[in-house]
Amino acid sequence: MGSRLEAKSTAVRKRIEGHEFNNEDGDEYEPSKFGGFPEYFRRKKIKLQNLDAELRSKSGENPPVFRGVVAHVNGYTQPSLNDLHALIVGHGGGFIQYLDGKTMVTHIIASNLTPKKAVEFRRYRLVKPAWVVDSVAAGKLLPWDNYRVLNEGVGQRVLGFDNGQVISQVDRRVKGYHEQTETSWYTNQLYQRESSEAVSAQPSSSTMQVLTPDMDDETFNDLPSLDSFETPAKPSEGEARQGSPNSHYSEDDHALDPAPATVLTSPPSRSAPVDVDANPKRLMRENIELTEVIGAPHGLKRARSSPSTSPNKRGKWIVPGPQKDQGTASLEQNTKLRPREGSQEPDYEMAIVKNSEALRAVSPSRLAKMTAEEHNALLLTDPRIRKSTVVNPDFLEQYYRESRLHHLSTWKADLKSQLQALTAEKSSSQRARQKRVPGARRYILHVDFDCFFAAVSLKKYPQYKDKPAVVAHGGGSGSEIASCNYPAREFGVRNGMWMKRAQELCPDLKILPYDFPGYEEASRRFYDAILSTGGVVQSVSIDEALVDVSAACITAGGTDGVKRSEGSNYREQAMASEIAQQLRDQVLERTGCVVSVGIGGNILLAKIALRKAKPAGQYHLKPEEVLEVIGKLEVQDLPGVAYSIGGKLEEIGVKLVKDIRDFSREKLINTLGPKTGEKIWDYARGLDKTEVGEQGIRKSVSAEVNWGVRFEKHEQVEEFIASLCAELHKRLLKEGVKGGQLTMKIMRRAPDAPLDPPKHLGHGKCDTFNKSLILGVATNDSKTLMKEAMSLLKGFGFSPGELRGIGVQMTKLEPLKPGTVEGSQKRLQFKVGEPSKPATKHTVTEDPIQDDVQTPKKATRIRDIVEPSIPANLRNAESPSRKPLNMLGTQFILPTQVDPKVLAELPEDIRLKLARHIELRAPALPPGESEGQRRPVSNAQSLAITLPNYSQLDPNILNALPNDVRSEILAFYQTSPRKARAQSLLPQSPRKVRTIPLSKKPLTRKRGGGFFGRGRTAVRSSDNSTLTQSNFVARPALLRQSSHKSTIPDTDGEDHAKTEHGLSSEIDPEFLAALPEDIRYEVLADQRRERLKRTSGIDISLHQKPRARRAAKNAADSPTTERLFRLPPRPAKPTFTAKKLAELPELRQAVKVWYEEFSDEGPYEEDVVALVKYLMAVVVEERDLSKAVSVVKWMGWVIDGDGRADVGVREKWEQAIVKVKHGVQQAVRERGLGEVDLS
Amino acid sequence: MADGPATFTTLITAFTTFLTVAIHTILYERSIYPRTSFLSARKYNHAVRQSRHPKVCQWIADAVAAVESELLKGTVGRVAVVIFDQSEKPLERFMFDCSRLPVVPAGEWDTPLVRESKNGERTDILPLVDLEEQLRAAMAKLTVCGTLLRPVPENCSFTVAIELKDEGDAPIGHPQPWVPVSPGLQKSVHKDAESRGRTGEDVGGVRTTPLRNVEAGEMMFEMWIEEGKTKMRGPEKNGNVVKLGEGWRSSASS
Repeated sequence: MGSRLEAKSTAVRKRIEGHEFNNEDGDEYEPSKFGGFPEYFRRKKIKLQNLDAELRSKSGENPPVFRGVVAHVNGYTQPSLNDLHALIVGHGGGFIQYLDGKTMVTHIIASNLTPKKAVEFRRYRLVKPAWVVDSVAAGKLLPWDNYRVLNEGVGQRVLGFDNGQVISQVDRRVKGYHEQTETSWYTNQLYQRESSEAVSAQPSSSTMQVLTPDMDDETFNDLPSLDSFETPAKPSEGEARQGSPNSHYSEDDHALDPAPATVLTSPPSRSAPVDVDANPKRLMRENIELTEVIGAPHGLKRARSSPSTSPNKRGKWIVPGPQKDQGTASLEQNTKLRPREGSQEPDYEMAIVKNSEALRAVSPSRLAKMTAEEHNALLLTDPRIRKSTVVNPDFLEQYYRESRLHHLSTWKADLKSQLQALTAEKSSSQRARQKRVPGARRYILHVDFDCFFAAVSLKKYPQYKDKPAVVAHGGGSGSEIASCNYPAREFGVRNGMWMKRAQELCPDLKILPYDFPGYEEASRRFYDAILSTGGVVQSVSIDEALVDVSAACITAGGTDGVKRSEGSNYREQAMASEIAQQLRDQVLERTGCVVSVGIGGNILLAKIALRKAKPAGQYHLKPEEVLEVIGKLEVQDLPGVAYSIGGKLEEIGVKLVKDIRDFSREKLINTLGPKTGEKIWDYARGLDKTEVGEQGIRKSVSAEVNWGVRFEKHEQVEEFIASLCAELHKRLLKEGVKGGQLTMKIMRRAPDAPLDPPKHLGHGKCDTFNKSLILGVATNDSKTLMKEAMSLLKGFGFSPGELRGIGVQMTKLEPLKPGTVEGSQKRLQFKVGEPSKPATKHTVTEDPIQDDVQTPKKATRIRDIVEPSIPANLRNAESPSRKPLNMLGTQFILPTQVDPKVLAELPEDIRLKLARHIELRAPALPPGESEGQRRPVSNAQSLAITLPNYSQLDPNILNALPNDVRSEILAFYQTSPRKARAQSLLPQSPRKVRTIPLSKKPLTRKRGGGFFGRGRTAVRSSDNSTLTQSNFVARPALLRQSSHKSTIPDTDGEDHAKTEHGLSSEIDPEFLAALPEDIRYEVLADQRRERLKRTSGIDISLHQKPRARRAAKNAADSPTTERLFRLPPRPAKPTFTAKKLAELPELRQAVKVWYEEFSDEGPYEEDVVALVKYLMAVVVEERDLSKAVSVVKWMGWVIDGDGRADVGVREKWEQAIVKVKHGVQQAVRERGLGEVDLS
Repeated sequence: MADGPATFTTLITAFTTFLTVAIHTILYERSIYPRTSFLSARKYNHAVRQSRHPKVCQWIADAVAAVESELLKGTVGRVAVVIFDQSEKPLERFMFDCSRLPVVPAGEWDTPLVRESKNGERTDILPLVDLEEQLRAAMAKLTVCGTLLRPVPENCSFTVAIELKDEGDAPIGHPQPWVPVSPGLQKSVHKDAESRGRTGEDVGGVRTTPLRNVEAGEMMFEMWIEEGKTKMRGPEKNGNVVKLGEGWRSSASS
């Protein structure tokens, strides 16, 4: 649906949402006048909305499922129009009784449509009433798509899922009333009543709805914060529609409820059961204790409850707070209603959980029946457990305090920032790294502690040093081994192993506690030692680091790192080993622990070398053994390759790294994806392009907890998410970023996983769900984050008890601006301030000003005036980049006449900037170039052009200018009064100005007149003078003069004066400006020719006019085209014979003549040799294989074609041709090519 | 070619345009793709073929763009269109030796070029008419290559490779459109005396068929075809070769 259609319904929605009803005093309650039907109808609609508004205000506690929906009901529906209306309005939707236009509503609800209407409404959202009922039941807006009234044509095939397979099937939807009669709401109700043998009094939905508000109100007196509550009316509807409540159960707690638990088969009751049975389920799902409201039915139930449930249970459960007590009790009641069969014993491994009193109090069979929430509640009754779950308000703090992984990661982050600060200090060494010559040999150390945790912890327990020892959280069977020493490894104990298994392997394992302060201390010293090596350091983790010591090694080697010289390699390697040895000694000395060092030519090789170095050694993987060593490794030994990649590689038959080399890069990329494939391909050859110190930019910030997550109710979830978001907020602040996208990661207990996972309070087997949300504006506000996170979580509709892990992550990070307003202003200043540093610009090789050439002509006109100084600058600069043009910053071209009032009105800073522009004109030119003498002239001109005449100078402006600028301007007026005079003429002759830089161009001497050398390269010479412009001719004499005489300014000035006089007397500048562009150029070109004739006496009329015009045009199109890049002359082509033959036809002719000349005596040896030599030169030097081949073939043809020659002579010629062929083949071989077919 | 003074960029663009046309022609002539998938078109006033498969066209455009960026750097010795058989053995290499194109520093790419002969006379950089004539001739030669060469087996694929001048740095870095070619097509980097000896076995091929030496102003390059030993079943021979390849590149084979 297009946005235009959407617009109207949005407007209607807004109107409905904004509709208020206060009392019946509004004008809609006035009596209608006679004949005022439109008025009557308008009022009627308003009154209907009044009704809706009231209804909405009464049902404010309902979840606003239909927010944003405006619905209209068309025709007969089940449930009725009335019910649908109440449902939609009661859940935040808008309802339109009278459809004025199809676009007024977002959804049209209908069971069936007349064919005409079906066509009319085809393009709108036509929904079945079930959508409303189901959405209310589900507590969220379901996709309307599944409830289409019309489907896309009869023949449309749709995708369906059948036993996990996608199948295409014909969409066979039952049409017409039959469907409705079969599956309708009322029919269902009927069926249910029959099956439950309920008393005939069928509760009409309307009566239930009447009850709704009251009940809700009472409920929410106790639980005010719950919004996703549901009215008792809904469940019954939803249930009725679905036919069997069983499905509810299986959705909610299928793991616990393997048997079909049909509420309706429970002991007969009055109409209430429907209500009550539905309720608890919902309550459980929403984790709400709702005893008070449904107290009466409860009583009934309790009375009915089977004796098997011990009545004293309530007393035994120590649940904090009376509310919980009741809640658990009520939940307990609910469970009783379910049959118990086929229970499975949860796997309780954890001693704590097992020993928990609460759990022991409950029989195992009952445990199996409990819902997740009940289970959690039960679990949480144990204060010890409660303390270590998310319910504890201090949980997060505690979690992050005790989590080893968190500790390590934060440590690493801190370390990184420390390192960055350090490297910033040592920026010199950093720069050295950047300057590294490409292709230089490199030496990278990978330094790693041997079993860091164990080693450091062992320092406190030196007695265990030689015994197997591990570091773990405790001796429990479920604690993970963080680190184990080498004696322990001999038993097969590995890092990350569970204690239980480790103890099986090695019964007398010593368990050491964590010693975080010790680790930090050791790590700090370790890094001190590493930083003292002076290389580029990259921290990998707290106990390992990469160091690039190439600089030191190469210095030791005595070469530039690329070239090889005798023994330099050896010296370099020795140096690397020495550094490594020193490092190891130092670390041992400072920390008392041993480290291993791997040395290699890149990070990969260093890492591989480290493996060989361990334990407590060092290893240098030398370039010559790289391939062999890597080749022998198994694929999974490569860093970054584990099961998944290894598995894929194994599929294509790769086990060892060397096998990879047999595969092409494409094949690997196809198998593993572009990045990994390429990486692995490189790795297999010992290549690794990552640089030490290269650290990716942080892309995301997240906070995630998946241990100890056990909730009983929604408030807890909310609280926890709030604190998690606060944590995320803290981290975002720490990184100095805000994020534009929020991702919520939720781990839900897998349906088949036990309620208590093997690891104490761990997450066990989980299904992971991710959902992200793009925030319109990047933020790091914890409240916003929390709001969004909550809504995301609610979108999942998981019951709190099933949650096992929650994470929030921000991506699309943007840096926080240091000072919001100030920051942006700074940037502006930077842009403007840029031109004030023209000197640095000259080094810029790129020429981004290219676009400037395209500026509209208007601007060019202005620049024509301002320009003259620029080409002078250009010539001054080492590189004739056009960059300095921009010094004037297009938008900051100062008008020649500054209006003082305007200037005065300008804000201070802008005024200063303008002033600076004036200022920079003068000193902009770098000194010390060859044509230094010219500089003052152009300088003066530039100033003169931008500044008004002295007489026009407003003292106010001068006063407004900064002191130095003022003095400079005044100085200018003093020193060069004559220039000031001259400039007044300048704007009248922009063309003149442009010729100045041109004239300085090193010139082509026109001696040859462009006809020289035509003989040799006839092709090229034809119009070889395209680029010789008439104006090149003008001033060589002058230029040469200028370099000798010191009086040029004068000569130049005179020159100017003279020509300008001539010009200005001839052409009125206004007239010139009014001319069309091309004509103007022509006029100006004529002018110039005239002038040139006058000034240097050279007659340009020799040159064709069009060429001159073209040249002029070129010059006009891009004022700087006069800048040329001069290519060195080509080396002369090899030529044949004294006649300097080079072209194929000539050569053929020569060969033919030669043969004819000697057809009766055979060729002379020296001639053949000369030809061979020439042809070889053609192949090797001229690189024209085809020409050589053609000549040879021609020769063969000439000889073959002549039948007259006698046999002896012919033989001689054939020998000659063989020689020639041989020579050509030899030349071809010399070029590294295969044999040429010469026959 | 834009009018206005010839710059290095226009020169290189002229070359790459020709290269594009040449690649399409080669694909057609060597029947890498079904001949029916080619359109007849006109370029340099000569009838040429153009693949009408958008992905093939895209691939060629990408490859040529990558070649162009290298050419601008002035490090390319030769450009090769390599035809492989199914086992990725090179069968034929269509070589474009562009080592004689001028080398211009990056800042001067858009500066008009001038070349003066020894006697100070200016020569034309890109004589348009002349150039077109030359390229047309080259194209004509290329279109008859099918008759000069033995046919290639079915299911061949192709790639575009560049062979760097000895002083050129390999085009590595990110993003990386270039990958080193198979060892058989590598030329050793050493500039020592024995450098000729240590070259890839497939470099140079077994049989060379000269096509044309294009010479028009600064546009100077030579074209020839090499046929590999896999095709000829003969002995072998050399370059510092780099060929194009990305994940989807291999999909260019049919």
